[in-house]
Amino acid sequence: MSLKKSGYLFCVLFLSSINIANAVTEVDFIYIGDSEHDSLLGVKQGIDEANLQGEFLGQKYNLEIVSKEKIEEYDFSKYIAILTSLDSKQLISLAKQLNNTPVFNLTDESDDLRRNCIANILHIAPSNKMKSDALKQLEIKKPASKANAQAWHYSFVKFAARDLNKRFKKNFQVKMNDHSWAGWAAVKMTSDTVARTQITSPDDMLKYLKNELTFDGQKGSDMNFRVTGQLRQLIILVENDKIITEAPIRGIAKPPSLDSLGILECMN
Amino acid sequence: MNFLWIRLVTIAIILTPFATYAKDRIFVTNEKSNNISVIDAETLNVEHTIDVGDRPRGIGLSPDSSELYVAISEENKIVVLDPNSLKILRDFEAGSDPETFGVHPNGNIYISNEDDAKASVFNPKTGKQLAEIKVGLEPEGVAISPDGKRVIVTSESTNMLHVIKAPENVIESNILIGSRPRAAVFTKSGDIAYATAEISGEVVKVDMNKAKILKTASLGDAKAKPKDVILAKDEKTIYVAGGRANKIIVMDADTLEIIKGIPVGKRVWGLAMSGDGQRVFTTNGVSGTVSVIDTGKNEVIKTIEVGKFPWGVVVKDN
Repeated sequence: MSLKKSGYLFCVLFLSSINIANAVTEVDFIYIGDSEHDSLLGVKQGIDEANLQGEFLGQKYNLEIVSKEKIEEYDFSKYIAILTSLDSKQLISLAKQLNNTPVFNLTDESDDLRRNCIANILHIAPSNKMKSDALKQLEIKKPASKANAQAWHYSFVKFAARDLNKRFKKNFQVKMNDHSWAGWAAVKMTSDTVARTQITSPDDMLKYLKNELTFDGQKGSDMNFRVTGQLRQLIILVENDKIITEAPIRGIAKPPSLDSLGILECMN
Repeated sequence: MNFLWIRLVTIAIILTPFATYAKDRIFVTNEKSNNISVIDAETLNVEHTIDVGDRPRGIGLSPDSSELYVAISEENKIVVLDPNSLKILRDFEAGSDPETFGVHPNGNIYISNEDDAKASVFNPKTGKQLAEIKVGLEPEGVAISPDGKRVIVTSESTNMLHVIKAPENVIESNILIGSRPRAAVFTKSGDIAYATAEISGEVVKVDMNKAKILKTASLGDAKAKPKDVILAKDEKTIYVAGGRANKIIVMDADTLEIIKGIPVGKRVWGLAMSGDGQRVFTTNGVSGTVSVIDTGKNEVIKTIEVGKFPWGVVVKDN
């Protein structure tokens, strides 16, 4: 082989190996809802963090934002997941239109929506029943308390929640709340799944999230979804803007698990 | 011949007047009482408590054991002490929220800066920052190969072991492991490393030359959220701090099979081994104690009361 030829071959091999090293998988998310909504800040935080991980592992995460008026004319086929802050009615019609794509509900808390068990809706927001069950547990422990039941609190520290609260505040100069946590969690569980499984199709993603997920949501480690599509999660009980405790409350919750909160079964 | 030589040197050391200062000690950081406990290695009693600053966590010795470094997380600095006179010598700024660090054989310190998603390299003699390496979110554990050629930084929220080539300080590979990687340790040859994943309750064994996971083992206890991992002197077993399982899990270093669980205090995180390999010291955060394990029997031989929420531990015995 001539020197020139071998040099050429070397070049080709060298370039192709660079290509392999730099092969980046593009992953697209879309957010539907009010662009001023807190949940979108959480989504953005999730995308930032996913891209930080993706820099090391070869993924690039993109986010599009679209208002709810444009849902019907939109082609959703390229998105790994749809992130929404919509009401029940809009959410149901969107989910039916999309079939096998994961549709994250970041904000709606209605119990009926859980009982309906729509196959591709994943509820990150805790339901009303989860919150009222948490308050009932607290009432046994501490009668006459005037607590609120929340999905998140900016002063939550456990499970490395402190770090997430700090990162979010630093990024957006506002405190993380229920909705921003929900947006972050939806993106985080999806991007973690992409990194671990290389899944890039929405229907495989939906199957994985519903059946195999164990998610570290920085508020407990073994978070996953019920048949209702509801994310199992602890509820933070807050009085006068201070955390009193978390439900399930030890010694009171029956069963003594996350399933002491909310609706466990479908309507039919 | 060698034996005689060692005896002579030992006698010489004993006869040196400095020997009274250079006694063997165990140093423990107490995260919530803002001090370090100094334990006499012979009597296993706390002989001194030294205030060092707000939230001391990582602790380590210079390669020649002449200086003791303590990361003061809330004050963003490293405090340097003389481990013999126990005097605070100086401190230096060490980036945002320094948590753990490793001391390179060349004397430089590799620090994980939890809030900043980076690792930084400092010369502790001058306090100067030499390099900054971008890593994943919530960097935590730092391990350095005995030959100094590789540094592992774990990132808890990005679930990775970042393998950094040293002293070039560039990332060589990124290895995705279980949820919340917290600590790692190299074998003497540097070919293998072990790492813990706190949330998934796992230990992984990694081929460092291929950057490949060889084995993953569950700790078989839902409460076992592992933190530190260290190797026995013969490298046949590893010791894993089991967190809220309140025990040390002894595993076969080759197969990762569990050999024994040794009950210690509550929420055990930190581990250190004596130079002769005969003792393991554990920090039991919630109990406020240090357990001393005899590695011959793998049993606790003493429990020592220290400060509030003991976190890191290091043994000075050379």
